[in-house]
Amino acid sequence: MRSFLLVPEALVAGTALLLLVAGPLGGVPRSWRSRLPAIVAVVVVAAFVVELWAGGTLATLFGGGFIQDRFALFAKAAVLLAVAAAIAVADWSAEDSLSTGLAMTLLAAFGVMVVASAGNFVPLWAGLELAAASGVALVGLRRPDIGLRLLIVGGVATALFVMGFAFVYATTGTADLLAARTIIANAAPTLPLAIPVLLLFGGLAVRAGIAPFHLASVPSSLGASPMGAGILLGLVAAAALIAAIKVAALLSPVPETLSLYLEVIAAVAMVGGGAAALGVRAPRARLAYLAVGQVGWVAAGLATHYRSGLGGALFLAGAFTLAATCGPAVLGGAEGGEASLAGMGALRPARALGIAMVFLSLAGAPPLAGFFGEFTVAAALAQSGHFGLLALGLLGSVLSLVAALGTLRVLYLQSPPEEGRRAVGFALPAWTSVSSAGAVAFCVVIAAYGAFANPILGLAYQGAEALGLR
Amino acid sequence: MIVMNAVVAAVNAASPTPLPVTVPGSGIFQSSLLLSLMVWAPVLVAVVIAVLPNPRGRFDALMKQIAFFTNIGLLFILWVAYNQFQILGTVQFEENVPWLPAIGAAYHLGIDGPGLVMLILSGLVGLASVLASWGVRERVRSYFCLLLISEACINGAVVAHDMFVLVLFWGAATIPLVLLVLGWGGPRREPAAWRLAAYWGLGTIALLVATLVLYSAAGGKSFDMDVLFRIPVSPRVQLVAGLALIVAAATFLPLFPFHGWVRDVYSQAPVGVCVVVAGGATRLGGYVLLRVLIGAEPIGAQLLSPLLGLMAAATVVYAGLVVLRMTDLRRGAAYLAMVPGGVTVLGLAALSPLAIGGSVLSLFSGGLAAALIVGVCATLTERAQTGNLHVLKGLAPRMPSLTWITVFAVLGLLGLPLMASFPAEAMTFFGSVKNQPLAAFAVAGGLAITAASLAVIMHRMLFGTPNPDAPGVSDASSGEKWFLGVLAGALLWVGMFPGGPKLPGTDTPIFDPGLVNAMAAGITEMASPYAAK
Repeated sequence: MRSFLLVPEALVAGTALLLLVAGPLGGVPRSWRSRLPAIVAVVVVAAFVVELWAGGTLATLFGGGFIQDRFALFAKAAVLLAVAAAIAVADWSAEDSLSTGLAMTLLAAFGVMVVASAGNFVPLWAGLELAAASGVALVGLRRPDIGLRLLIVGGVATALFVMGFAFVYATTGTADLLAARTIIANAAPTLPLAIPVLLLFGGLAVRAGIAPFHLASVPSSLGASPMGAGILLGLVAAAALIAAIKVAALLSPVPETLSLYLEVIAAVAMVGGGAAALGVRAPRARLAYLAVGQVGWVAAGLATHYRSGLGGALFLAGAFTLAATCGPAVLGGAEGGEASLAGMGALRPARALGIAMVFLSLAGAPPLAGFFGEFTVAAALAQSGHFGLLALGLLGSVLSLVAALGTLRVLYLQSPPEEGRRAVGFALPAWTSVSSAGAVAFCVVIAAYGAFANPILGLAYQGAEALGLR
Repeated sequence: MIVMNAVVAAVNAASPTPLPVTVPGSGIFQSSLLLSLMVWAPVLVAVVIAVLPNPRGRFDALMKQIAFFTNIGLLFILWVAYNQFQILGTVQFEENVPWLPAIGAAYHLGIDGPGLVMLILSGLVGLASVLASWGVRERVRSYFCLLLISEACINGAVVAHDMFVLVLFWGAATIPLVLLVLGWGGPRREPAAWRLAAYWGLGTIALLVATLVLYSAAGGKSFDMDVLFRIPVSPRVQLVAGLALIVAAATFLPLFPFHGWVRDVYSQAPVGVCVVVAGGATRLGGYVLLRVLIGAEPIGAQLLSPLLGLMAAATVVYAGLVVLRMTDLRRGAAYLAMVPGGVTVLGLAALSPLAIGGSVLSLFSGGLAAALIVGVCATLTERAQTGNLHVLKGLAPRMPSLTWITVFAVLGLLGLPLMASFPAEAMTFFGSVKNQPLAAFAVAGGLAITAASLAVIMHRMLFGTPNPDAPGVSDASSGEKWFLGVLAGALLWVGMFPGGPKLPGTDTPIFDPGLVNAMAAGITEMASPYAAK
């Protein structure tokens, strides 16, 4: 079983490299191009199945740099499922390059997988950078100006993260996460420890696009292609969240060093995300702000610094990754105002249902994946006595829900405009059997995430335990 | 055949309660999934309707029929469940499956007497709402999908025996109802829908806060009502949770001053949606107060009973005063629909077994009366082409059916004899006059103001001199008569036979054990902390 541990990573990275090489060389036959997304989605599903089958084996490879445990299993399974669904549901006619789009999506997923299995700071950083770089590349393909801006902001995030990492290394004398945790457990919550934590979380917050740091990632995602936006809002944020969960677990013996930061970040993101979502009408912008609000809930779960909170945060991060990665893909080229979605419920019912599911799940509406995740975090907040943060989160959720209902109204209750009057950015996504099947599959997955929450949350809790939390 | 037998054997799993075999219908079928059927069957049908091909609306009528027969089916299941129900203080038809064991949440369903009463109310209101929606012409598929989902959510909230499940269905009920108002409402539907979303969103937050406060105080192990309600918590916690519960209930019922959505929603929503909201969804507010505050937090209930009494009195008096000055029929009906909620809460504030029993019956009768008054006023406004009370005069000769149903609705709302609301109000007032004398007199005064206002308005609108300048009017259609008839008939039925009728010439009850007896099961234990009062 141990020999199969790296098969999912190999499948994903290998396919990405193959696409990167074959695409520019014209190695993808023309007749295959329409089937390519389906083939790649099947490869990712195969990687997902192998991960579930072999990923339960506990192992440490590459001198402790790669750890396979329940945490890694959960995170990798979630990201593979999200990527498979996003590739299947995406409107690939709205992308600038099929092979590059697919390759960058897979590379970003590979980056998240590296972060999930990281045993020390180096792969943690490398995975984060790989995921972010894939997003920058895909965004830059369409809008070089936005790509450049994203690169600069990413540089700031990297600088903060690396400085924080360097300080922690200087304090503990090790880059290994578990070893550093053991040393920190015996340390006092001092200012020299609090400063690197601030830097670390600052860097991760920029990467995750948490308010107020979303001012870089959200506008960037608006100019990107659908999959580019999916990578930025979903996969890069997922990589940052998984890294944040690992860092929070590392610092959990001295919660004083991180709780305040996380509480402030979570409060601003939850309320700010909901309020901003209510204030905008363009579907992708609204989706981006709803994602910011839900990332805030994940941060709130981390602020509890208990197993239940981190387990809940991981469970919610899975739901978030699914919805935020697939959201822009299912929206397709609907980049204009909300009129681009008008009447889609009648014209593209499967895709419209997918959009509705994404918005409702990110808003935390029952009975979808986001609701179960947010409820779990809310229970952890109540257990740990964070009632103020809980109240703010609930306020943010109501704002988000009202915003999501506004989008549902346009989807289902407004009449579609005449086809001849559809402007650029208001075009309907192309209908293909693969994308329709992908939309239905995505809806099933996001509904089943709550219905079968028992084993999924159990695995998330085991993941939190694997990080040394009790 | 083997497969069929296996399926039948699986479905016919033993019921948790033994059967009174003499009762018709009790032995038709037994299933341990009765309550799940009540919740998930409408969802399943909604999904089927959603995916049915319907080119150019050719099968719109079929979709209405599917929704109608789904409700008939639900009522049939309910009838079977009702006749299997035993007069015990215990929760029956239980289903308990772990859902999120890591945080102690389970898919735990079950009903006692009050739950059964609420389920019957929901079934009747569901049928009436489908009949009231027969005239819907636009986006029929979406309309009936959302209507069925909203019914499922209401049923789910009623049968929930785990606070997690209660919050889930309570919160989920808001979404389809808001969309129904947004999609099929009148010209001012947008503000109406957003107000509904905002108020009920606040109510959902408040319920969630109460749940999490109790969960945290009880050790954070379980959301199961059996566990959560049995662990003693401090008076301070009970007070905080109780305040949150009052806010949650007040936004739904609604109670003054959380009634801001009422006027817009009842005057803008389509008739079928008004019926579901007034008859089913809003009663959840009173039900949660009964189940969680009165039934589980006796100290909190005692501390907060003056506040509850004050809100009940303010609600009824306010509604009466608004009706006194009303100029629009539908808007006036919106405020009239607040009156039964005030009576229900008065009974809960009194904290005596008699008043609590009255409150439970008032949940049923008040739901029917509120749905009837809102429904009939909306229908009358549509048929008369205006709701302006300065214009509507002398309608009785031109719309006789609607006239008598309107009179009937007013009598039902005010709690006159022969109506189900009569025993409910009698029990409530008799039970509360000792413990909450001021609130009881204020509520009675509010009812008197309402009665006087309605008498004047009814006289002028229905039996006065006809207005020659008024738009043309027409009487109710057969569909409208049916939906109003279902509500009025149920109100009259329970008012005339609160103990349940017998088969002619026999001692066999048609409905066993009779609504009032069924309702009593569960109340005794719930009211036991207040028995000394």
